[in-house]
Amino acid sequence: MKTVTSLIMAGGRGERLYPLTRDRAKPAVPFGGIYRIIDFTLSNCINSGMRHIYVLSQYKSLSLSRHIQLGWNILSGTLGEYVTVVPAQQRINEDWYKGTADAIFQNIYLLQKQTPDMALILSGDHIYKMDYRELIHFHMMKGADVTVAAVEMDKNLSNQLGVIEVDADFRIKGFQEKPDHPQTVPSKPDKILASMGVYVFNTEIMVKRLIEDAKRGTEHDFGKNVIPAMVESGDRAFAFSFVDERGETSYWRDVGTVEAYFEASMDLVSVCPLLNLYDASWPIHTYHAPSPPAKTILDESSEGGRRGAAYESLIAGGAIISGGEVRRSIISANVRVDSHARVEDSILLDGVRVKEGAKIRKAIVDKYSEIPEGMTIGYDLKEDMKNFTVTESGIVVVSKGFRLR
Amino acid sequence: MATLLIVDDEVNQRKLYQEELSEEGYQIRLARNGKEALDSISENSPDLVVLDIRMPVMDGLEALGKIIGKERNIPVIIHSAYSSYKDDFISWAADDFVLKSSDLTELKRKIRALLEKKRA
Repeated sequence: MKTVTSLIMAGGRGERLYPLTRDRAKPAVPFGGIYRIIDFTLSNCINSGMRHIYVLSQYKSLSLSRHIQLGWNILSGTLGEYVTVVPAQQRINEDWYKGTADAIFQNIYLLQKQTPDMALILSGDHIYKMDYRELIHFHMMKGADVTVAAVEMDKNLSNQLGVIEVDADFRIKGFQEKPDHPQTVPSKPDKILASMGVYVFNTEIMVKRLIEDAKRGTEHDFGKNVIPAMVESGDRAFAFSFVDERGETSYWRDVGTVEAYFEASMDLVSVCPLLNLYDASWPIHTYHAPSPPAKTILDESSEGGRRGAAYESLIAGGAIISGGEVRRSIISANVRVDSHARVEDSILLDGVRVKEGAKIRKAIVDKYSEIPEGMTIGYDLKEDMKNFTVTESGIVVVSKGFRLR
Repeated sequence: MATLLIVDDEVNQRKLYQEELSEEGYQIRLARNGKEALDSISENSPDLVVLDIRMPVMDGLEALGKIIGKERNIPVIIHSAYSSYKDDFISWAADDFVLKSSDLTELKRKIRALLEKKRA
């Protein structure tokens, strides 16, 4: 049987997600009430039968390491399985990783002991559900040296994306950077292929190409340097189109900006989300501190009475909606919403307290923040800018641990 | 005249290199371990490095990784008594791997070939 080792790159700074990435790397950013972004990639690995997993961390890695240690200690060391966090160790260079290819090159010794036939290179930054066995099967059927997983995007987005050019057999011919006249997917004239930053390599050729890249003065990036050089030199590089059984584009999100994060989160509270978290055949694993069930309290029928209620929302364990009202929101563990408070179209992360009469709309409130009595957020953006980050589209982000002084 | 940096912890081995390779018309610089080699390279880049692996302070593979990591494109020949190091991925970053012997014919041939390739 062919062996595969997975390497998840989890060093992303996620600068455009600031301030959610003020205290944590992007893969550790909470998502969907109980998850962190990296849980999706890790769950894909486990559900695909990949049980040799390294997570390469570097920047602000404490909460990521802690999460993986607490939540992902689920494999059997006795059977040779592992999820191991590998911090940047400066074995080769005394810098941070210079690019994605450098991150793997600096850790190449990890693949040495039990040289796997293939290396699956993943990013811990993305939200999607993918069976990597299909990708690997495709890679082997094509006799490829490297296969790049790609999502189909609408052709009219091409001037914002890097486009992969393929022939009818899906062999990669070249790349176009933000083209006006993109090459489309074979037999789909309205679609283009964009890289997901997911690669499967035959290990030996990857090592050779990474060494060649390390010797060149490039950005040391798989997408920009290593794969184009391989295509150029005649290596067998293929693109694997990530579509469902009906041939439709599968769900995949980068959530690289606050807007994209907000939108992907709000999708989850819709009646039929694009991302189905209820599929028992593809469980998303995570770490949960033990907490009591979510609870709503108070139901005073008198005029102006206190009523705790939540509509069209996700509510995690330990949360108490205590006489306040929540609509179209994601309420994470141990959140409290007090009497007469109102929360709409918002994401509240763990341990947030919304005090009596406070009103929040279209906001992301990071962990352990305390919104004082009567405060409003999302109603007067000019006022909000004094205390919080406000994005161009008017989403207010309250930093972790906010307290009014 | 091409300059070779020879890295070996064994004093007699260094003497042998010094004699035989200067006869070939190369200018020879010597280092006793990987760390001295890196210092020597950052001071003044040689045309080629002959690198032993098992050395105290810093071994040849670690030194090789650091030479590559600095994007310095200097040809490196690993000269080791142990062929098992060929299984080490970092050893693949060397331009050639020559097994140690008292006869330096093979090593000299590889040095010539790499220097010619570099000039080309």
